[in-house]
Amino acid sequence: MRRDSALAHLTEGLPCLALALVFVAGLLQLAVRLKEVQVDDAADFSYASARQSLRRVQTGGVRGRILDRHGALLADNRTALSIVCQPAQFQRRTWEATVGEIAAAISNVAETIGRPSPLSERAIRRHVNQSLAMPLFVWRDIDEGELAVFSEHEREFPGFAVEETEERVYPLGTLAAHLIGYVGRDRGESEAGDEKFNYFATELRGRSGLEIYYDSFLRGVPGERRVLVDARGFAMREWTVVESSGGPDLVLALDVDIQRAAERQLDGQRGACAVIDPRTGDVLALASSPGFDPNAFVPTLSRELYERYAQDPAKPLLNRASGGAYAPGSTFKPVTALAGLVAGFPADETYVCDGVFTLGEMRLHCASRWGHGPLDLRHALMKSCNPFFCNLGLDIGTNALLRMSREFGLGAKTGLDLGVDMAGVVPDADWKMRMYGEKWFQGDLAQMTIGQGMLLVSPLQMARVAGAIGTGYLVTPRLKADVPVERRPLRVPAVFLDVVREGMRMVVDGDGESRGTGWRGGEGVPVAVSGKTGTAEIGRGESRRKNAWFIAYAPSEAPRIALALVIENGDSGGGTAAPRVGAILREIFGTQSGEGS
Amino acid sequence: MTTWRRFARFDWVLFGAMLALIAIGTVAIWSAGNARAEAVFHGMWRSNLVTALVGLGLYFAIALTDYRRLLDFLAIPAYLVSLVLLVAVLLVGDTIYGGSRWLWFFQPSEIAKLCVIAALAFFLGDDRLLRGSVRRGFRGFLLAAALIGLPVALILAEPDLGTAITLVPSALVMVFVAGTWRKGLVTLAAIGALAALVVLGAVYEAEKPGVSPERRARILKCVPLRPHQLRRVRVFLFPERDVTGAGYNLRQAQISIGSGGLTGKGIGKGETNHLKYLPQAISMNDFIFCVWAEETGFVGSIALLTLFGALLLAGCRVALVASDGRGRLLALGVTTLVFAHVYVNIAMSIGLVPITGLPLPFISSGRTFLVMVLCGLGFVQSVSLHREEKQS
Repeated sequence: MRRDSALAHLTEGLPCLALALVFVAGLLQLAVRLKEVQVDDAADFSYASARQSLRRVQTGGVRGRILDRHGALLADNRTALSIVCQPAQFQRRTWEATVGEIAAAISNVAETIGRPSPLSERAIRRHVNQSLAMPLFVWRDIDEGELAVFSEHEREFPGFAVEETEERVYPLGTLAAHLIGYVGRDRGESEAGDEKFNYFATELRGRSGLEIYYDSFLRGVPGERRVLVDARGFAMREWTVVESSGGPDLVLALDVDIQRAAERQLDGQRGACAVIDPRTGDVLALASSPGFDPNAFVPTLSRELYERYAQDPAKPLLNRASGGAYAPGSTFKPVTALAGLVAGFPADETYVCDGVFTLGEMRLHCASRWGHGPLDLRHALMKSCNPFFCNLGLDIGTNALLRMSREFGLGAKTGLDLGVDMAGVVPDADWKMRMYGEKWFQGDLAQMTIGQGMLLVSPLQMARVAGAIGTGYLVTPRLKADVPVERRPLRVPAVFLDVVREGMRMVVDGDGESRGTGWRGGEGVPVAVSGKTGTAEIGRGESRRKNAWFIAYAPSEAPRIALALVIENGDSGGGTAAPRVGAILREIFGTQSGEGS
Repeated sequence: MTTWRRFARFDWVLFGAMLALIAIGTVAIWSAGNARAEAVFHGMWRSNLVTALVGLGLYFAIALTDYRRLLDFLAIPAYLVSLVLLVAVLLVGDTIYGGSRWLWFFQPSEIAKLCVIAALAFFLGDDRLLRGSVRRGFRGFLLAAALIGLPVALILAEPDLGTAITLVPSALVMVFVAGTWRKGLVTLAAIGALAALVVLGAVYEAEKPGVSPERRARILKCVPLRPHQLRRVRVFLFPERDVTGAGYNLRQAQISIGSGGLTGKGIGKGETNHLKYLPQAISMNDFIFCVWAEETGFVGSIALLTLFGALLLAGCRVALVASDGRGRLLALGVTTLVFAHVYVNIAMSIGLVPITGLPLPFISSGRTFLVMVLCGLGFVQSVSLHREEKQS
């Protein structure tokens, strides 16, 4: 056996060599295929690996602050502490068991910190289903006591942590609340067509006022975080790719002192006041009453609170200053006067007022029961004589009046950089036919001349009208300080404007018997004030009410301030509104007297 | 022959490659175990290393003993014991993943593989037990078929098709090299290969796009595959079809190997493994190559293949220089067994063969299998150590 010939030995060895070849061939085949998978297709498989295990999260930046023209903070941020739950710590075999585990852990913590869980099991399930890789915010904005208790027991609660978030704070509380608005917490969203992100961290989003109008401005640049998730989707590790950057500060034209003065005058009333700089359109104050405290909406607006506000008949959430629609009453008469002058009505023609204006069956009473007697246009403005303007209106016709109304921007949005910008109504024959199915009568014209009937304006629009008369051009109001100034000259000859200016000066000026209806609007004000009162009547019989108006600009010769103020259910423009305007103007020119800008 | 002379015949390549592979296996098991949530798997690498040390003890015990004496004393009793164990596991075994493969702490089917190889070598290695004409004739073939068929039938009954199939190449090689009924054997092997191809073709014909459900059902009724086997063949033929369902394992295996790239993600940093995309239940066993390939990349894969290549070629060399038929058959049987496992395990995770539950020698964490392979290689080393110098 052992003495095999060399040939036999070789023959017996052949299978061993053949087998070795087979082995080498097999291993080479594996190597070739591995080269394909690990070298040629490595990029594809790396992408597949990343795609299944990476989640991209958009993080919202810290919201910009809102400041007034002097740097006073109207909206700021504070760091709030929240207790969050990391679902990855509560993995169980089934999703239902995981949800149950999280719910049990939350109620455990709830017992310790003495604050009930705000999350229903449904909310937890939704989070597990939709945002598993994200922390679940359980208690937002905890107080120091709760923090202390939680920190003390933190080791007993694996999977729970304290996380910092930015919450909005309004340092001046109710001040300018309608204007600033408030925020809510939203799941972020992608830009249209942008499928880049899997998750969006909840972020503060404007819900009303400037917070919503300048939402994208204030939000700043979002950042990006990446979360590595395991095969079931639980977060394993996360890191920041792009830091989010804070939004820029929004600097307003608003003047907190004037705003405060205006709000003080509205206190306890329903009403509104708009104060603008008629040269630039700067909105110095935009006050509305009653108001609300936006801090009560942080961290979230509760349903009950919102319902209470929404159902309050006083409508505290309504911004009356730019969003209210009121009949302007006699504050409209300067517009009527200009329409008359432009249409050729002589400035010095006198009219004899006998206390009532009769047109067919319609009788319009004058403020002066027994009539003003003979007066010209300036004095008609000064005394706010109804028959005079009705007569003038019938003389010039509807179209002339409509043209002038529109020249002053009535019936159209002012262009204010705020969502709330009531266009109001300048009614014409078409409009009336559309709304009421009736023809336009001369009586409608007569009503309109004295700012009654279907005419509707906002206080901001009327402040603009007052300013335009004072300066000769109509400005677009602006809240953000660096919006370019936009204004256009009134297409009204200066001589006519001067007539109306004289009339409006006489409203405030003078004393004794010769004083105008709005004399209290200039009382104690160190500069000359021009204005116009208005007492708009609404409703009939039992529900008859009067809205008291005053519009003004000052100083008369070179206006820096134009304003309009309305008090709902007031006595009269001269008695209710004018003194409040006087107080506001004293506040302004008392503080500004030295500057003279 | 002095001890020193024997020592010179120790096959260092065989031994060195084996040690390196054990080291790699320890690292891979450490990484795969750490990815598991259950703490019991975190220390798996340690218990595996202990098993390897025990196995190395057996390795040296076997290597230093003359394999002829070992076969004389142990081939028949060991074979019988393994049959008993295979029957026992069917009666009282623990059922895991749909098959009862475990008896107490080990898998009898793994032990049976080595026992069958030893028995074949014992009976077919030379003419001492059977006359040459009988051994090389049809009767020899019947004996071999019985020796292989009994344990294979029992393993198939567990059921564990993968383990049963790995015995086939070793048996074929051994019977062929022994020269037993070569013509018939070749014919049978050809028929077997043809049958496998026919089955594959039939499944492809039934599953390819655009086949009506009736035709599909008609074809599949004739295919002798169990549902889970059919599923694996389908995934193999159409890997893109169901990557979240039946094809998930293959897809994740490929992602983890492919995303490793040229140089890998770093030891312990394989994402598909640590994030549990790679099926956790089998990442330490059948899919351990994915863990290694993801973390060490193409470089690591080739290093692993090179070590296996060295081991296998060393085994072939031992067979070549073996001084008798039994030694040669023993070496070839064990080497072929190792190759079959290596090839099928790696090939299945890169889509070259259907998914089959087979461990990768030295790298996977199966302890019975590790001890069995070490013992097998101990025999190979013994064949190398106890060869007679050829007389010139």
